[in-house]
Amino acid sequence: MITDIIVDGLLAAVAAIGFGSFSYPPRRAFKYIGLLGAVGHALRYTLMAHAGLDIATSSFCASLCIGFLALLFGRMSRCPLTVLYIPALLPMIPGMYAYRSVFALVKLMQSLNDYAMSEKYINLFIVNMTVAVSVIFLLAVGATLVLFLFPNKAYTMTRRRQVA
Amino acid sequence: MTTEELKETAEFISEYATCLLGSGVHTSRVLRNSTRICDALGVGIQMTTLSKTIVITVFDAHEGTSHTEVLSIPALPISFEYNADLSELSWDVYDNRMPLREIKERYREIVSRPKMSRYMILLLVGLANGAFCRLFNGAWGAVVIVVLATWLGVFVRQEMQKRKVNHFIVFIVSAFVASMFASLSLIPGWTPNTAIGTSVLFLIPGVPLINGIIDIIDGHTLTGVSRLINAMLLIICVAVGLSVPLLLFVKNLL
Repeated sequence: MITDIIVDGLLAAVAAIGFGSFSYPPRRAFKYIGLLGAVGHALRYTLMAHAGLDIATSSFCASLCIGFLALLFGRMSRCPLTVLYIPALLPMIPGMYAYRSVFALVKLMQSLNDYAMSEKYINLFIVNMTVAVSVIFLLAVGATLVLFLFPNKAYTMTRRRQVA
Repeated sequence: MTTEELKETAEFISEYATCLLGSGVHTSRVLRNSTRICDALGVGIQMTTLSKTIVITVFDAHEGTSHTEVLSIPALPISFEYNADLSELSWDVYDNRMPLREIKERYREIVSRPKMSRYMILLLVGLANGAFCRLFNGAWGAVVIVVLATWLGVFVRQEMQKRKVNHFIVFIVSAFVASMFASLSLIPGWTPNTAIGTSVLFLIPGVPLINGIIDIIDGHTLTGVSRLINAMLLIICVAVGLSVPLLLFVKNLL
């Protein structure tokens, strides 16, 4: 169980750093992005596999945790919060649900003459789409909450001189 | 402040703000950074942001003078480095009160820094997508195919972007190339659904999606919605590219 969680975190770190590199993060941010991605995804995995929570709730908990950790790491790396947490959220985007909804749409178009089958595929499409959209929305909201809870902290990350 | 100086300040601030907006920074941060620099220079600022243009008025309350700039927002690649370093610049200006000439020099120095090499990005994104495939319980054979498919897809995307092809076409073609290559996993039967599904995920526009939601919650509804609509269009393009191999191999993919 412990190894599963660690492997999950390591894979997520690779994914976060790789997808993040598309958006040219500053070099000093890479290690924090990897760490945040690992902690977030491993937490979601643990909640889903061992605490029996659903994907939307556990994604929200994980992104909330990423947001708070980003507040800590932002100060250490002098990076704005979004620079750290957006790449860390990317591995949690529910790609397989998005894929399955496209797949269901393709199948739907091919079974328009068969009422029972088309009903099945439109159901699959709606279910998968709803999960994908809700998870993405909750990920963004969870991590962004810190920006609204601590606006003064969040917008002074890049300041060299700290006012007590 | 003389009219000339005011004009120079307004020109610099509008360039600074459009650079930030163009490289994927959410709107309220751009507002805060620009206001901070203007505070330090002793002028006031009012700003309207639309999806493709900004309108900035810089004014001197004592002299009663003002200058307005309207500038279109360039379509730059997303850059978190600009986000971090230009935000840092605004605080340095605020804390150290430097003259406009020096601020401009620092700004030029930041935007002319060399970017990470495209081959490094290619390598990292490929590995990331492979790791992603494994996270979705893909077979190890599928992981290898996804890494190769992603390298091919990212290469196609970079080459087309270099030639300034319309970005919707870039997304459709890259998704098509990556998912077609990933369909190779059908032959040995290495979890083909996971392989094809994850091979296009490097194209998901995560940054505008999240920035759009931040903007909307912040009350910058117009810019937020336009970011989300743009992201939706790109996702639809990915779906279009992905549906070609799905249509071709639908019988093998149940």
